[in-house]
Order: sequence, then C-alpha cells, then structure tokens
Amino acid sequence: MTARLETTLVVAQRARRVRRAKAVASRTAAYVVVIAGAVVLLVPFFWMVSSSLKELQDVFAYPPVWLPIPPQWHNYLDAWRAVPFGRYLANTVFVTVLGMFAEITSCTLVAYGFARYSFPGRNALFFILLSTMMLPYHVTLIPTYMIWRNLKLLDTFDPLVLPAWTAWGPFYVFLLRQFFMGVPRDLEEAAKIDGANVLQTFAHVMLPQIKPALLAVAVFAFRGYWNNFLGPLIYLNSMSKYTLTLGMYLFMGGVNEAPQWHWLMAMSTVLAVPMLVTFFLAQRYFIEGISLTGLKG
Amino acid sequence: MESGIYLGTLARYLLTFVAMCLLCLGVYGALRLARAREETAAGYALITPWLAGFLVFTAGPILASLGLSFTSYDLFNPPKWVGLENYRWLFSDILDFWPSVKLTLAYAFLSVPVGVAGSLLVALLLSADIRGIGIFRTIYYLPAVLPEVSVALLWRWIFNSEAGLLNAVLGPIFRLIGLQNPDWFGDPRFVLPAFVIMSVWGVFGINMVVFLAAIKNVPRVFYEAAEIDGAGSFAKFWNVTFPQISPVVLLQIIMGIIGALQIFTVAMFARPTSAAGRFMNQLVYERGFLQLRMGEASAIAWVLFVIILALTLLVFRSSTAWVYYEAEVRK
Repeated sequence: MTARLETTLVVAQRARRVRRAKAVASRTAAYVVVIAGAVVLLVPFFWMVSSSLKELQDVFAYPPVWLPIPPQWHNYLDAWRAVPFGRYLANTVFVTVLGMFAEITSCTLVAYGFARYSFPGRNALFFILLSTMMLPYHVTLIPTYMIWRNLKLLDTFDPLVLPAWTAWGPFYVFLLRQFFMGVPRDLEEAAKIDGANVLQTFAHVMLPQIKPALLAVAVFAFRGYWNNFLGPLIYLNSMSKYTLTLGMYLFMGGVNEAPQWHWLMAMSTVLAVPMLVTFFLAQRYFIEGISLTGLKG
Repeated sequence: MESGIYLGTLARYLLTFVAMCLLCLGVYGALRLARAREETAAGYALITPWLAGFLVFTAGPILASLGLSFTSYDLFNPPKWVGLENYRWLFSDILDFWPSVKLTLAYAFLSVPVGVAGSLLVALLLSADIRGIGIFRTIYYLPAVLPEVSVALLWRWIFNSEAGLLNAVLGPIFRLIGLQNPDWFGDPRFVLPAFVIMSVWGVFGINMVVFLAAIKNVPRVFYEAAEIDGAGSFAKFWNVTFPQISPVVLLQIIMGIIGALQIFTVAMFARPTSAAGRFMNQLVYERGFLQLRMGEASAIAWVLFVIILALTLLVFRSSTAWVYYEAEVRK
C-alpha cells in the first residue's frame, strides 16, 4: 500500500518535473528568439556609430573592424565643418519651433471643436478630415508650389511653417479629439458654475486633462519638422537657407562622387541624436500615440 | 550672422496667426448674424483653421493638379490644354513610367505583408510574460526612432558591395552556396529586396508595439474558455487572438500600403542604380521640378492617387471576410 503510494508520488513528481522542464524550455526558446531579434535590430546602430569613429583606411577594411581604436572623434568635427552645418542646424531649429507651435495650437483648437461642439455637418467634415490621411502629399505638391510662387515666397521658410496654422496634421486632430472626448463633461460644467469663461475653462480645465496627447503630438510634430526633406528640397534654393536634411543631401555629393562613409555615418548619428533623446524622454507618450492611431513617426 | 532670412518669415508667421484669429471671429460673427445657434457658430469658428487650410492647401490643389494633368505646363508659359495627351504618353512610356509603377507596387506588396506578419509573430512571442520585456520593447522600437535620412544612409552603407557589413557577414554563406556577393542597391535584381529589408527593419518595432497592445487587450476569459474546449496554442491564436486583433491588423495593413506607395525620402538618399527604375514619387519630383514638365508630373501624381484609393478600397472590401468586429455581433 505504502509502496504504491510512493510510486504514485514519484510519478506525479516526475510529471511535475517534466512540465516544469517544458515551461523552462519554451521560456528559453522565447528568450533566444527575442534576444536574437534585438541583436539583429541593434547591430546596424552599432555599425553606424562604429563607422563614424573610424579612420578612412579602416572604413573599407576586410574583415570589418568592429571597434575603432582609438576612436576618431575628430571625424564629427571634420564632417560638421565640411558643409555649413551650423547654419543648417539654426535653420532647422527655426522651422521646427515655429512649425510645432503653430501646429499644436491649431490642431488643439480644431480637435476641441470637433469633440465638444455639435453642429450640422460635423460628422461629414470629420470624415473628410480623416480621409485626407490617405492623400499622397505629392498630389497637392505642384499647385501648392504655384501658390507660394505667386505669393513670391519661394526660397523662404514660409511654405514650410505658415500652413502649420491650418491644423494640417489629420492624425494630430484625431488623437487630440479622442482625448478631449474622454474628459468628463462635469468638469467643464463645474468650471462654468465657478464663473470661468470659455477660454479659462479651456486653458485651466481641458488642457491639463489632455496633457499626454499634447506631449504625443509635440513629439510627432518635432519629428515631422526635423526630418522634413521634400518641403526644403522644392522650396529652398539658396544654400544659406538649407535645413539639416537638405544639407545632408548636398553633403552626400553628386552621383559620381565617392561618398565619405565615416563622415556620412557621423552626420547620420548627429541627425539621429535629437530623435533618440526625445524618444527616451517621452517614450510613454510616443508609444501611447502610436497605439491609439497606428501612426508612424 | 544674417538674421534677415528669419525676420521676414517670423513677421508673416505672426501675421498669419492674427489673420487666422480674425477669420475665426469673422466666421462666428457671420453665423450668429445668420441666426445660427451659439453652439453651431462656436463649433464652426473652432474648426475654421482646418477648414480654411483644407480648402486652400488640399481641396483646391487636388482639383488644380487634376486640371494641370490635362495641360502642358512649364511654370513660365501659361498652361496649354492637351487633353489626354499626358496620360497617353505615360501609358506608352515603357522606359520610365511602367517600371516605376511596377517597382512601387512590388515594393508595397512585398514590404507590407512581410512587415506585418513578422511583427505579429514577434508580438505573440513578446506577449508572454518574460522578465525584462520592457528593455526589449525599447530596443525593438529604436529603428523606428531614427530619421529616414539616417536610415537610408546607414543601409546604403551596410549594403555597400565592397565594404558593406551585410556582405562581410553573409559573404562566407554566399560562397558556400556558390553565389557571388550581391551588389544590393547597385544591382537592379537586388534593389527591391534591399528596400524591403530596409523597410521591414524600420517598421518592425512600430507594428509590433501596436500588435502587442492589441494582444494585451484580448480578455483572458476567451483563452480560458478555449482551454476548457481543449484548444492548443495554434487553435487559440487562430480562433481567439487573431479575430480579436484583426481590426488592428487591417489598420496596419492599410496604413502600411499608403505609406509604402509614397516612398520618397528614403529612396532619394539610398540612391539605387538607375537601371532599377525609380519610385513613382521620385518620378513626380523629377518630371515636375527638375524637367519642369508640370502637366506630366501632375498626371503621374494622380495615377498614384488613384492606385492608393483603389488598393485601400480593395483591402477594406476584403476585410468583411476576415476582420471581426465585436460590436456588430453584439447588435
């Protein structure tokens, strides 16, 4: 009797052990795949930074040099001085700050209108706003170019920043509207009873409630203006007005010129640093924005 | 320092702001005068910036570019009506136009399914409770954080035929199967795979995070019910997870297609061999702004617009067969 009980116990123990081993195996497999994926995604980053710190002869070495010793930090300075990147940085900051401010302001007001006021035609207009997301930018490009040409504003920053006052990011309006709709109406009514006017209610009651959405929009707008290439490409002619992306295009050289890869990787890294910093600072809002809209930066 | 290049724009920037405020007030006043309700007037006043921008920078230009596509226009002489000549010329252009349509469509049809399926797979893996998952999620996200310009230059360097990292790492394997190192962006046969690899690397993290959020939202009860019914892992995925997250998959596919068909910046910086053809948006830029053939460029842009509309509609139509909306069943 006791012997049989013992066998049962042993069998049960063995089964438990097998189950645990299986769980450990599947967990290990998951880790292996996840780590392998992370390595594949990270190696290009490492390669970018490592290439940017190499001497010219190591850049083309075979087998590849993984760690440049000693690191050639002066590559960054050399690349930065090869083209007036300081001026391009100033231009990019100017365009980005103006564009972001106008875009966030106008999108917030429009989103508030769509979220909190009911008026005839509202749903149809919101549907139109959403469907402009499908519109290829190039289809409006030439007539828009003609507008700025007729206004004699080609080769200025105007075409890059003035339209930002017209809430031209349908994603941003959508995201902000979602958040506004989530704010309980009682809050506004309480403010009204306390004697706040429309603007006071908006600024002191509504805006703090949608802070995560505002930050998400700020991150995306920052990325949008910082990385804009097509706009500067067609609107800016004078080299003194180039932005960083257009400066990179110039720096990349003509078709026949052999690219200086250590310099190009240095500048690619420089261009990426503000994006990486904002990502780490505002990761939560970034991911929240993406999960809500499916928007890619 | 020449600060003059900023001051003019700054002045017009502030002026635009004032003008926009006045326009909003004007809309409000006009609607009130026309005896509209207070709420209607305020609502329209608030959305006025968008409405104005939509008319001036979207609706107007779309119609204008349709009109331009029937003309011959070089920016300096007034547009000349040529009827369907631009389209006839394009559709018979087997040197530039058809290869670019083919390249653009092939890119979208390859990169979107591979990107979506791959990231869905990894999202399923990562949805398991793994310690330190937060760090992995951040890592998976990083490629999407890089600027397009950096991505294109970085991959052009990795794909470099002589000293590129990819050929250095894969070279021994290629030699083992008796193949030569491919010249990626320099060889028309490898341009498309190179772009697909680059794009999948870039969007992987974004798609994955979106899928991960969707998978986490599937109620646990459904899995418990499935387990009681004796479902295995695959059955659980196919009958529970996938139907539940299918609306998100649809959204990612549609946004992916719209994005892929509009590829421009990356292609301009990756600079593949011209023998592989150009993407449609590159052709629009080249015809319009380098050769000043604005009519033809508008026609190409419109063809791309129609392709995007048609594909989006097609995917939406097909979605009734595979996308599951809970709200519809509950009704």
